[in-house]
Amino acid sequence: MDTLLALLTVFTQPQLLVLVGIGTFAGIYIGAIPGLSVTMAVSILISFTFSWDVYPAISLMVGIYMGGVYGGSRTAILLNIPGAPSAIATAMDGYPMAQKGEAGQAIGVTTVMSFFGGLIGILVLAIAAPFVSDFALTFQPRDYMLLAVLGILLVGSLSSGSLVKGIFAGAFGIAIGAVGRDPLTFTERFTFDLQIMEGGISFIAVMIGMFGVSEALLQLQNVTMKAVRQKIDKIVPSFGTIKKYLPLSLQTSTIGVIIGALPGTGGDIAALMAYDHAKRVTKNPQVPFGKGAMEGLVAPETANNAAVGGAFIPMMTLGIPGDAVTAIMIGALFIHGLNPGPMLMVDQPDMFWFIVGALLTANVFMLLFGLTGIRIFTKIVEMPRSIIIPLILLLSIVGAYAVNNSITDVYWMLGFGVFGYFMRHYGYPLGPVILGVILSRLLDDNWRRAIISERGDIGRFFEGVITSPLSLTLFVAVLMIFISQTPLWATVKKRLFRKAES
Amino acid sequence: MSRRLIGAFIALGLSATVSLAQEYPTKEIQGIIQWGAGGSTDTVMRSVTPHAEDVLSGTIVMQNMTGAVGAIALNYVAAAKADGYTLLMGAENPLLYKVMGLGDKDYSEFVPINILARGTPILVANNDAPFDDYAGMLDFIAKNPGELRFGATGPGGLPSVITAMMNTVEGDLDVIAVPYDGDGPALTALQSGAIDVMPAVLGASIESIRAGAIKPIAIFDVKQNEKLPEVPLVTAYNEDYKTYLPWGPFFGVFAPKGTPDAVVAKLSDAYAQAAKSPDFIELMDNRGFTMMGISGAEATEFLSKWQQGTAWLLQDAGLTKASPEDFGIKRP
Repeated sequence: MDTLLALLTVFTQPQLLVLVGIGTFAGIYIGAIPGLSVTMAVSILISFTFSWDVYPAISLMVGIYMGGVYGGSRTAILLNIPGAPSAIATAMDGYPMAQKGEAGQAIGVTTVMSFFGGLIGILVLAIAAPFVSDFALTFQPRDYMLLAVLGILLVGSLSSGSLVKGIFAGAFGIAIGAVGRDPLTFTERFTFDLQIMEGGISFIAVMIGMFGVSEALLQLQNVTMKAVRQKIDKIVPSFGTIKKYLPLSLQTSTIGVIIGALPGTGGDIAALMAYDHAKRVTKNPQVPFGKGAMEGLVAPETANNAAVGGAFIPMMTLGIPGDAVTAIMIGALFIHGLNPGPMLMVDQPDMFWFIVGALLTANVFMLLFGLTGIRIFTKIVEMPRSIIIPLILLLSIVGAYAVNNSITDVYWMLGFGVFGYFMRHYGYPLGPVILGVILSRLLDDNWRRAIISERGDIGRFFEGVITSPLSLTLFVAVLMIFISQTPLWATVKKRLFRKAES
Repeated sequence: MSRRLIGAFIALGLSATVSLAQEYPTKEIQGIIQWGAGGSTDTVMRSVTPHAEDVLSGTIVMQNMTGAVGAIALNYVAAAKADGYTLLMGAENPLLYKVMGLGDKDYSEFVPINILARGTPILVANNDAPFDDYAGMLDFIAKNPGELRFGATGPGGLPSVITAMMNTVEGDLDVIAVPYDGDGPALTALQSGAIDVMPAVLGASIESIRAGAIKPIAIFDVKQNEKLPEVPLVTAYNEDYKTYLPWGPFFGVFAPKGTPDAVVAKLSDAYAQAAKSPDFIELMDNRGFTMMGISGAEATEFLSKWQQGTAWLLQDAGLTKASPEDFGIKRP
């Protein structure tokens, strides 16, 4: 009974309900603008809500978080500029849909599927939080490393054209991620003794440049071309459509929750892995991937919203943040006199259920706001390019500056924008670059931790991999995916099938 | 006519400088937090500053500026105009930048506004570790050289200083140091068994200790801790630690050197009052921090003592890139 009351706190206090609503609404727009990140918004809110009670403050933050993760898909679909790193995969099939005049439909499906993914994440949080956090804790450095290797193999599915160019782009991304003072020993890497290189290259600046500026430059070539008229009659997807993607979205939501719950990985990696998963399991998509496949929208969007619930799991059960946003929320709880940690669930179970309730509410608001504003949003793509291109550039500059209040980031962003433009021209995919930057640290740090823990002994390292069931599973998965992508596998498969037939 | 005008301008200028300190702050103050959102420094600064704003009746806009273990933020504020409108909210580690080869500036380029509080180091272990106290741990290390995994946070971090202290006092301990990005991720790794022992700040580990998720080994302080009265002090095992303790990380607010004295005084007063507000004291107490609230000469003295002690400790342990002597840091 107490649990139910705590769960319904948000509904019984209209003020909280309004705050969650405002948060979600604001979150969608913050998420949609590249560079304005949820992390930034929530850290500003800490000071802003300092004198408030803890419930209203958390309500607003939860709303922004939920809305922001979803909002990143908007600009990804409409402009091919992911509003947040977790929407990179969304752009790959969302934008081709918008180019065909199906932006309304794309946003509709995205919204409903984000809602669904969010719901799964929250349900897992509510029902199985202690269980999942125990599982997340079993991940050792070598498992994170194997996970990163698994992620690197996504290069294959993110490169639409030449695989070699994809691998080059991925390796380039890993190198970008390694620039600056190495976080473990503080040794300078690829800095050329320049002070501006010391802090590394902001990943957000790379993303905004590669996607935002290069897109704007590319659009300049057809500045006089008439914009595609968008069909907006079928926004809310039919029940049949939802049912069709239900099995896939359940799988990708699971990926989202687990990746989200792991401290050190978040919605961005979850979305990319889910996209890859969808590509693997969908045998005959109606539209090919990369050309506007519905599955390519469903997978990343369910996963990144499921990762929200996932990120709260270690935060609520152990006081360990699941991602950057939950890290700030832990700080907020401290400031409001709570002590987040393993005892929070014991000392203040109400807080847990209140957050679950707030997340649920934010999820519903997200569905509501997501489905109502579409008509106005799709007008953005119908605007003349001569207006929209300067707008994109302006937003990109503001966004790149806002991340760290650093003008250097703006230069990086512009530099990578021009570079990305040429990469596109020569058929190099941009997705793998971002993938490389995201995974660079995960791979590098954890490989070193794993090998340092074994005193640099590679034999002991493999002994550890083989004796741990989790590591072994991940290792086998890496091998299988790798082999299945080589021509060798195709020949073997052909022979096996022939045998089976005869 | 024109002469009168010039005179008027000069008068205006003069009165402006005089009233500068009195009217301070006339615009928003920028507070640069050296570490990322959600970390210890961030939490402390974001909870004390609103109280200081009330005293100043001004606005302090706080920004996180991360990168290069805080050196980017430090250099940014050091290069800013010394008018009291750009403040640095930092922790202890800049005092080690020079000897660690991480930068050529430290707090000597700044005036301390307030050293708010200090943390207490504690040694914690994974629940499955085959020992329950400090003596048992040393025994295990002696019998299994190179097997025990200690968490670390990079050169100059708290774990490196505590490990250096242990090596100096107990003789070289043959352990593996596994580096993490901060004490948060390292404590997570401790719970998962990726590392066995972690020298951490008490505030970051206290909740997990209370929950029984990790076990305390020894507190590195000279006084029994009120929050964890049952945990033994390391000095109970070896008196020699008294040479180096009490030692701990700290948080402070700093202004660039050359900031007008009146402005420094006003800021110092604001933060001194803010640090006395009950909810800030409660927050710090809950997190196991010891309140300091010192400023002026006392703070400068504290900083130079801290720097001498720690820099030479690291130098003697062979962890530094350059000798403290090169920067005029005297042996304590």
